[in-house]
Amino acid sequence: MKPSFKKLPVTLLFLFTPFLLAAHGVSSADQEILNNGGLLSYIYVGAKHMVTGYDHLLFLVGVIFYLSGFKDIVRFITVFTIGHSITLIGATYLGIKADEHLIDAVIALSVLYKGFENLGGFEKYLKFKSPNLLLMVFIFGLIHGFGLSTRLQSFDVGSSQFLAKIFSFNVGVELGQICALIPIVFIISQWKNKKSFDSFYKATNLYLIIAGIGLFLYQMYGYYYGGH
Amino acid sequence: MKKIVLPLLALVLFSSHIMYLKLDSYFLKPNKSATIQLFNGTFDKSENVIDRDRMLDVSLLNNGQRIKVDESQWSEKDSITFLNFRTGEPGTYVVGVSTAPRSIEMDAEAFNTYLEHEGIQDMLAWRRDNDALEGDANERYSKHVKTIFQVGDKRTDDWQKELGYPIEFIPLDNPYELNTGDELKFKLLFKGKPLANQLVYANYKGSSEEHSHGTAENEHSHASKPEEAHSHEKNAEKHSHDHSKEEKHSHDHGKEEGQSHKATEEAYSHDTNSADAHSHDSEAGGHTHTSGQQLRTDSQGMATAKLTADGIWYLQTIHLQNIEGEEITHESNWSTLTFEITHAHGTDTHTHAPAEEGIPAYVYWVGSLFLIAILFFWFNRKK
Repeated sequence: MKPSFKKLPVTLLFLFTPFLLAAHGVSSADQEILNNGGLLSYIYVGAKHMVTGYDHLLFLVGVIFYLSGFKDIVRFITVFTIGHSITLIGATYLGIKADEHLIDAVIALSVLYKGFENLGGFEKYLKFKSPNLLLMVFIFGLIHGFGLSTRLQSFDVGSSQFLAKIFSFNVGVELGQICALIPIVFIISQWKNKKSFDSFYKATNLYLIIAGIGLFLYQMYGYYYGGH
Repeated sequence: MKKIVLPLLALVLFSSHIMYLKLDSYFLKPNKSATIQLFNGTFDKSENVIDRDRMLDVSLLNNGQRIKVDESQWSEKDSITFLNFRTGEPGTYVVGVSTAPRSIEMDAEAFNTYLEHEGIQDMLAWRRDNDALEGDANERYSKHVKTIFQVGDKRTDDWQKELGYPIEFIPLDNPYELNTGDELKFKLLFKGKPLANQLVYANYKGSSEEHSHGTAENEHSHASKPEEAHSHEKNAEKHSHDHSKEEKHSHDHGKEEGQSHKATEEAYSHDTNSADAHSHDSEAGGHTHTSGQQLRTDSQGMATAKLTADGIWYLQTIHLQNIEGEEITHESNWSTLTFEITHAHGTDTHTHAPAEEGIPAYVYWVGSLFLIAILFFWFNRKK
């Protein structure tokens, strides 16, 4: 008997929950690096956070899937970068932050949103056209930046060269983003002309929905039971 | 105006230094390089370094062994003294530093202001009650500090061992078996015996809620919780400590500058019996060492601190007594104990990266790719 399509994502969600729970966080090893490495260490930790902070990357994967052409990709990534730079630098400098679990839960929803939108969920299930993507990418950029800022503020940054450290972390985030995007863009663009792209498209975007739900549940669990 | 200016001026001039052993993280990995910072100033800012010849004892305790730390492991940067060492086997580690006594002369006004500022309420009350407020002081002081930190996951018993310092906090529970919301019972020993009825301050600095900014150049100060607003940087430039030499304790001003300000009745207009008598605001330009919980040891020298929040916690006390002698009039022994408290360190928290304690990130990526592959083949088969 063939398993039904409807049951598959739910089964997989539970199957892979442990992997989804492996959220990125503040590591004492990173703190040690920041303590000893000057501004370069902030670039390194920023880049590392972006590369291993998969919620940001998953969102970008979703954005890239939707786009066609290099120009479009540059345009949207630039808007996302501007958005997250604004809140990363601004919120960190001003000392504004949110509960880490809550902001990460919202970021998880952005991943879910993108997968849902890419699969035509708005038109199919909600019966209306999806919101302007460029605007949404900018808004989600602001949210992701706020998450990055909250993360940065969870480190003991110290008082000297404070602004320079924020900028360095931001530079690291951008470098990490570029490093991560190169293979992602390459794979997606290479696959686009293949027959199996449609399956790849559906599989990846369904995965984004599953990952978004999993991350959201994980963060909410952390919020309620993580000692806050 | 004089009533306001004199106490404030004295407060600025006679800010003394408490010593703390601090780590950036109190959770370290085994067999890795690590650094402990020796702060002499406030918990937030070290004002000066400590010379090696001032250290009578520097000990590292782990797995039942007490190791004397070599002088060469110390270094200085800015106003902080750094102890570089390497962790060994997993366990709950203790590091202690005990300094040699030094003395300082203060006129009555400086001494009273210092007592008030440091929250040494008992001595101040005694001077009041015994009409001794006009008496100058020649104080012999020494500082004895400890920190407890966790290496790896294994908890060991070194946290309860006495280092034999003149004054010493001994926790009655391993702080690393406690979490936020728990209570830490501890005893205070003076010359090896329980010290009863001694005022102890317990406070913390939130590990994730706060970073330090300041209004001075390149410095900022934000505190997300009122209790954590123990930031002294705002008007740090107003402090006029003389730290040209590390040996100088800030009380030095008492001798050099304090005498130019005659003690007046007005200078002691603060109500030191009030629980928050020392909560000077930043406009005063002074800093206080007396924020946080005020505890008093019982007849067994024991007291209990409520660990109300995640962060780096510190217990501190200054035991000051009158001394009958020709030169020295008072003797003080200062003690602090630092450790970190977190809400949890299991896999359900975000405090530590999974790569450190749980599932490595690459497992997530492999799992994700595997999941995408399953979905891909699923959709491909459906076509």
